[in-house]
Amino acid sequence: MSATERRLSDSRRPDSAESMRPAGSSDKRFRAARVSEIPPGSRKIVEVEGRSIGVYNIQGAFHALRNVCPHQGAELCKGLVTAAVVSSGPGDFRFEREGEIVRCPWHQWEFDIKTGCMVVDGKVRTKSYEVTVEKFGVSVEEDYVMIHL
Amino acid sequence: MQTSQAETPAPADKKSKAKRPIIDCDIHQISGLEEIKPYLPRHYRELVEAYGPAYPGGMHFNGGVGGRMADAYPEEGGRAGSDLALMQRQHLDRYNVAYGILTGEGYGIQATINYDYAAATCSAINDYTIEHWLSRDSRLRGSVMIPKQEPRLAAKEIDRVGGRADMVQVIVCNGATLPYGNRYYDPIYEACVRHNLPFTIHVGLEGEGINSPPTGAGYVTNYIETRCARPSTMAAHLASFIFEGVFERFPTLRVVLQEAGVLWLAPLLWKMDQEWKGLRVQTPWVRKRPSEYFREHVRVTTQPIDETPNRAIFDSLLDSIHADETLMYCSDYPHWDYDSPKQALPKLADGLADRVYYDNAAELYGLPPREKEAEG
Repeated sequence: MSATERRLSDSRRPDSAESMRPAGSSDKRFRAARVSEIPPGSRKIVEVEGRSIGVYNIQGAFHALRNVCPHQGAELCKGLVTAAVVSSGPGDFRFEREGEIVRCPWHQWEFDIKTGCMVVDGKVRTKSYEVTVEKFGVSVEEDYVMIHL
Repeated sequence: MQTSQAETPAPADKKSKAKRPIIDCDIHQISGLEEIKPYLPRHYRELVEAYGPAYPGGMHFNGGVGGRMADAYPEEGGRAGSDLALMQRQHLDRYNVAYGILTGEGYGIQATINYDYAAATCSAINDYTIEHWLSRDSRLRGSVMIPKQEPRLAAKEIDRVGGRADMVQVIVCNGATLPYGNRYYDPIYEACVRHNLPFTIHVGLEGEGINSPPTGAGYVTNYIETRCARPSTMAAHLASFIFEGVFERFPTLRVVLQEAGVLWLAPLLWKMDQEWKGLRVQTPWVRKRPSEYFREHVRVTTQPIDETPNRAIFDSLLDSIHADETLMYCSDYPHWDYDSPKQALPKLADGLADRVYYDNAAELYGLPPREKEAEG
């Protein structure tokens, strides 16, 4: 995994509180999970500030999506995670971007987990959030997955 | 058009409208072989245990997960649509569904040539539905499944259970051997009228078993094509009802069109009225404009509601089908193309919303009138 994929935070803030709200900043950061709770290929749905958010680990890189489908409000992150299916013609099925697409549990609209954008119409999107992996005080052994609201 | 473009969509429950009581005209309780087997007579029970259901269905891949919402499977295991508690939690309670009309599943039995087996299976489905669903939640109402391919046996089943207060309509699949206006089906309509039950056509089984191909041009390859062809089949049924004079023979008969879309009806009504002017002499028993029969006798349920390029077109087409009298909300829970009571339709004016989400269905099915919302 590359450093850019993992998007490690460059600033390791010393705070140990559950949430940190830098004064005057809209970049509120919240602990979503320990890194070990979301192994590659899995996701965890967390509640942050009254918002349901799905946190995905795609090959070691974390991504966060609002758990609401912009179509009819289904819990998007309860949908199947799969690949983008592409084709050169009838009967041909090829799979690209394995594990990067979530299909809504109701109508199966496909969304790019990395951007929140609908596959066939990028203007239709659900909110995506920046995610960083951070380490806190020396007493904490494990890294945390942080969501930036 | 119904898609919210906002980055943070509106939460599912937003103040007063959450309290609006709803009648949902299409909820699918599971009614497959496993569920109904105990209700089959011994002969057929032994046969299906040895072999399986032996009726058509499943020619195409469905959508979603097994045709269901991926989140409608009970966590403790089991099949979507099998768990009343989950249905209550996920749909009935959550959306203030005052009444839900159960429409069942597995209409394949209506496309088998084995009439006696079809009749036995329909009876089993109806008995199962009464015992396992209708008796367990007073909000639920049932649909009489009939062996519609044999109208005399179908009428017998309607007479057997159609007089019950908790059975509110007769249901058939869209796929058929003959259009539903054909007099072949008259014994069914006589029974519907005897028990004051609407005759509801629900999509499905087009081109399967003994039913005619799904399009006039023949069979199609993909499920999406089947979905696109359903309106044409249903249009054929509607024109058949009107021009074969069914509504003249059965002046109190009501027909519900379910799940083939809604807005395509507008140009069909225009076309029927237009053609009638020149061709009326060939069907002089059709005494009124075709669109008047539609308005008086036919109701249509919303799901899957058509998404138009803009709101003005949507409103205009709703006007054209007299939606304030003819349109009734339904969700199709727990099927994969479920329409949320809150977000499937654009916001309707209060009066129209009351008609679509409650009053039209209450009048059709004889359900109690809507209680006025307390908060106004």
